[in-house]
Amino acid sequence: MRHPRDRLRVHQVLCAAGPVDAVTNQGLACRALFDAWGWPGDDAAAVTAPGMRRRAMRPLESFDPPAGDAIVLHYSGYARRLERLLERPNPMLVISHNITPASYFWAYQPIEGLRCSLAVGQLADLARSATAAAGVSEFNAAELRDAGARDVSVIPVLVDRERLGPPADRPPPGPPTILFVGRLAPHKRQDLVIRAFALYRREHAPDARLVLVGTPLAQRFEASLRGLAEQLAPGAVTFETGLPAERLADRFRSAHAFLCLSEHEGFCIPLLEAFHFGVPVIARPAGGIGEVVGDAALRVPQVDGTANGIDLAVVAELLRLAVEDRELAAELRRRGDGRLEAYAHDRTAARLRKAVAALEAPA
Amino acid sequence: MTSPEDAVERARAAAAEARKRGAYREEQPSFEVESATRIGDWRLMEWAMIEPDPSLARSTRRLGAPITWFKRGLLRLLRQYNDDIIGQQSRFNAHVAAHVTSLDDRVRALEREAAARRAHGRDDGETSP
Repeated sequence: MRHPRDRLRVHQVLCAAGPVDAVTNQGLACRALFDAWGWPGDDAAAVTAPGMRRRAMRPLESFDPPAGDAIVLHYSGYARRLERLLERPNPMLVISHNITPASYFWAYQPIEGLRCSLAVGQLADLARSATAAAGVSEFNAAELRDAGARDVSVIPVLVDRERLGPPADRPPPGPPTILFVGRLAPHKRQDLVIRAFALYRREHAPDARLVLVGTPLAQRFEASLRGLAEQLAPGAVTFETGLPAERLADRFRSAHAFLCLSEHEGFCIPLLEAFHFGVPVIARPAGGIGEVVGDAALRVPQVDGTANGIDLAVVAELLRLAVEDRELAAELRRRGDGRLEAYAHDRTAARLRKAVAALEAPA
Repeated sequence: MTSPEDAVERARAAAAEARKRGAYREEQPSFEVESATRIGDWRLMEWAMIEPDPSLARSTRRLGAPITWFKRGLLRLLRQYNDDIIGQQSRFNAHVAAHVTSLDDRVRALEREAAARRAHGRDDGETSP
């Protein structure tokens, strides 16, 4: 057992770590805070993608912290060997970064579907056994409570605005540019983004462009999206992946609107990034999106009885308003600043610190 | 000024008006995300035959071109051995996929038969008081 005079030691475990992975970036951001607070520790990942520095994330096989040390588990998907954490005596905080329903993946990437199916049970086991649990949004926290976890809080994603770089000081020049940033995956519905954009382009802005930034889930899925883009808006849709932070910032700076039609998101960091760069956001309030955007986005209304739950013509009209109505865009930017304040780095850091510090409280 | 709250109503009205003029007709998209509760039989069959993409053998390092070249050279040298392993795995996968499909067919046939028997029983008045 740790001596009370010793400083708190906090270790982190990630299900998977990769160089362009949002949860990995969160783990690294948390480590920077722990270091600043004088909480040393190791970070480990069950699976490490090529390109991930091994010094930053050690393999889970060699992870064996002393019994009194705290563990923060960033849960983002099923991984073997994580059950071993249940056998450990360490106080543990499980932070759920969301599990996508498996049904989205069976047709495109069944391995991912299996991981998501298995993740539901594994997360429930881990969260029930953990000292405390947290979701990155109230949406995620509610799922944890439903799974039987105790002491569930909300610790949003850390957004470091300084690292994003400055926003543009004037509206972007050039033709209307619509942006979406997120993994090319079925639940993010880039197919609907392309279709809505194609309608907007045909009816209102023939020179408009769409930029989709994100790593593809599977080559076949990406090829299908590219085929759809060529069919409906030939030459107007750009797919980009693996962008370094500076170039991603440039994409935001040159965008006139950010369009998110995801059917499932636990948090969706790019929404806050869009607010930071002053890009008007149009979003379907699904999953955790509604609470993240608050009143600072044009919310795509749900339309019952349609195949996709939304009316793409209404989305196209919302795009037109966001791009052409400067006063509306300015109001959205003003409200976006309010959302950034709600998710300010210091506030989130304080929540994280409180939750982790509580792990060392005597039982 | 249009407030964000008003914008949705304005967009709805504009879309409805445009539709009256014949706008917003959408051509049949070549692709639409499908959500499934399980893997379809045809997909299972498709994936049973494994075909690794040689272009995936690459280095992710900044100056990894020679490593990529080395990995692909190794693949070429080991092609005969790898093809044999892939063949064995594909044969096994195909058998499993075919077996699952035939079991699925049998279950469907039995369900149809059971449904027919239940309907027949009701016709005979077995379930009537």
